[in-house]
Amino acid sequence: MSTFSSSTPRTANWRGWVTAQNVVVAVVLLAAIIFPLVVDRPRFWLPNIGVRTLWMGTIAMSLVFLNKYVGLLSLAQMTFAGICSYGIGYFSVTMGLPIIPSIILSLGVGSFAGWLTALIAVRTKAIYFMMITLALSQVFYSWASQAIEVTNARRGIAPIPRPDFGFINLNDITTFYYFALFLAVLSYAIFRYTAKSQFGLAIQGIKDSPERMSALGYNVNRYRTAALTLAAFVASIGGVILVFDRNQVDPSFVSLDATLNILVVAVVGGIGSLGGVFIGGLVFSLLQNFAQDFTDRYMTLTGLVFIGVLLFFPTGLVGLGPIIRRLFSKRAKTSTSAESSETLDAARRAGTHNKKGQHK
Amino acid sequence: MYVSVYTVTNTKNCTDKNVRNGVRTVDIWPLILLNGLTLGAVYFVASSGLTLIFGLMRVITLAHGTSFLFGGYLGYVVAVATENWILGLLAGLLAAGLLGLFTHQVLIRRFQDDDMRVALITLGVAVIGTDLMLAVFGGTATQVPFPQNLQIAVDLPGIGDYPLIRLIILAIAIVLGLAIYFIIAKTRFGSIVRAGVDDAPMTSATGVNVRVVFAVIFAVGSALAGLAGVISGTLFPLLPGQDGSYLLFSLVVVIVGGMGSIPGAAIGSALVGIVSQFALVLAPTYAFVLTFALMVIVLAVRPQGIMGRPA
Repeated sequence: MSTFSSSTPRTANWRGWVTAQNVVVAVVLLAAIIFPLVVDRPRFWLPNIGVRTLWMGTIAMSLVFLNKYVGLLSLAQMTFAGICSYGIGYFSVTMGLPIIPSIILSLGVGSFAGWLTALIAVRTKAIYFMMITLALSQVFYSWASQAIEVTNARRGIAPIPRPDFGFINLNDITTFYYFALFLAVLSYAIFRYTAKSQFGLAIQGIKDSPERMSALGYNVNRYRTAALTLAAFVASIGGVILVFDRNQVDPSFVSLDATLNILVVAVVGGIGSLGGVFIGGLVFSLLQNFAQDFTDRYMTLTGLVFIGVLLFFPTGLVGLGPIIRRLFSKRAKTSTSAESSETLDAARRAGTHNKKGQHK
Repeated sequence: MYVSVYTVTNTKNCTDKNVRNGVRTVDIWPLILLNGLTLGAVYFVASSGLTLIFGLMRVITLAHGTSFLFGGYLGYVVAVATENWILGLLAGLLAAGLLGLFTHQVLIRRFQDDDMRVALITLGVAVIGTDLMLAVFGGTATQVPFPQNLQIAVDLPGIGDYPLIRLIILAIAIVLGLAIYFIIAKTRFGSIVRAGVDDAPMTSATGVNVRVVFAVIFAVGSALAGLAGVISGTLFPLLPGQDGSYLLFSLVVVIVGGMGSIPGAAIGSALVGIVSQFALVLAPTYAFVLTFALMVIVLAVRPQGIMGRPA
């Protein structure tokens, strides 16, 4: 990913950060920051498209992280987010705790749920893991829609007002959008940092060859458990945004539909790209909001887009990036500098890596 | 939404008097056990298709619940139009089989070695199927009609009156299970199939068209789900959302029983059916959770399932 920095001289260390990936991230971030200033109806666009994209993206990003670096496709990420949302509702509304301790406790509860899931599912692989996480998510759904004393069954817990921390007041929609953006960027940073850390390298090694890593003395299951718990923590961050976006929590948060939506977001954005999920989230939110104008069957449309992406762009919409870049570099072959061909190589390498990931 | 476990009291063909005075007060456990077994019969027909497809092709189809509900609805339509229950069963079988064949040929044949991609594509099919079936058949419950002369109760020792149709369905499931097991284990087609599982290129080299074998298996697996849909629609109402719940129950059954094993599917579905019925009596609120607890326990002890081979 950033092998670039190792190949540049030490004196020009800052140039190590100027990779194609970071440029794209910066541009997208800039677009996200000026988004509230340029849209015509902020009261519609900020909650329905902006904030929704951010929480969907954050939760889907935890799914992508697990798929890309650990090689496990977890369908329980939406459930961890929902557990955190339920936690906030239960601690702050039902028990009457102040909001900040409620949020912190709920993040803990969401991560704990991830740890428990890992204990059950970590010994299984690939398709088994996917089915077990799917089944566990449905267990929680059925419990949430029946346990009246904790989750208030189908009615859910409402209202959960957006908090006013004093220095920032989330009741203002623009402030809330920036709060959500901050959390999403924080989650992205956590994953980027983790992927480069020693721990991240170890889990990638485990993904490629669990037997070899085990022979080297790594406790494979413990690393996988830790990665799952981390992913559940980030999904819980998504749950924080989600619960304050909806101002309530009910079983539909963790239903099969919601779980599948997150998967659609991850696949459409690109199952091998951490940042791409936000593109997937954006496409999904736009579909949800605008497809209803011309058809009632927007889930059919979503399904068609999903299958289309899987058939023709297995790396998701971000996979289009390297393809476009290659077209341009072919056209301007004579003027390509050494640097741009290097980024192209990197992109190609990333592309093959993703394909490998898909076969797992 | 997931109203999949219908209760002991749903045995509407029992006369009220018996339920209230005889069975309930005397001894309900044999009745619950039998209810669990007949529910398990429905699960078995559905999950045998899933385990067949997985065992032979190493792919999981998440459109299995869609085949189930599609078969059920088509069976309902035909059974109402022709007033013939058997034709309804055949229609459900055929419709789901064709849907499976279409899915396999058009969407997933090219990616057959990539199990994750197959799972995701079939998930897309499931999303579309759920939406379209809701559009066509609406949100109301429908029940497949069956002949008047079968709507009777038989007197079983130790249980009392029991609806005949449930026993017929139990018999259908047992015969079907034995037939599948026999075909796979004893016939020439079965040996081709088993050879294709172990080494597809080699089987292909001996002159067998493996692609056709896989297509047939996928279609048969989906057809079994469709048959299960009609059977289930005869005992319980068909509802939107059942595609999801039956997909989950089939998954639980094959995880518990061991993926790819027909005897495993039989054991798994009997266990899931019995546990869910007993849970319904002992802890009605958490019946669904307890059913999944069974899966968690089995996984903790035997990750490959009761009859599964270690992965």
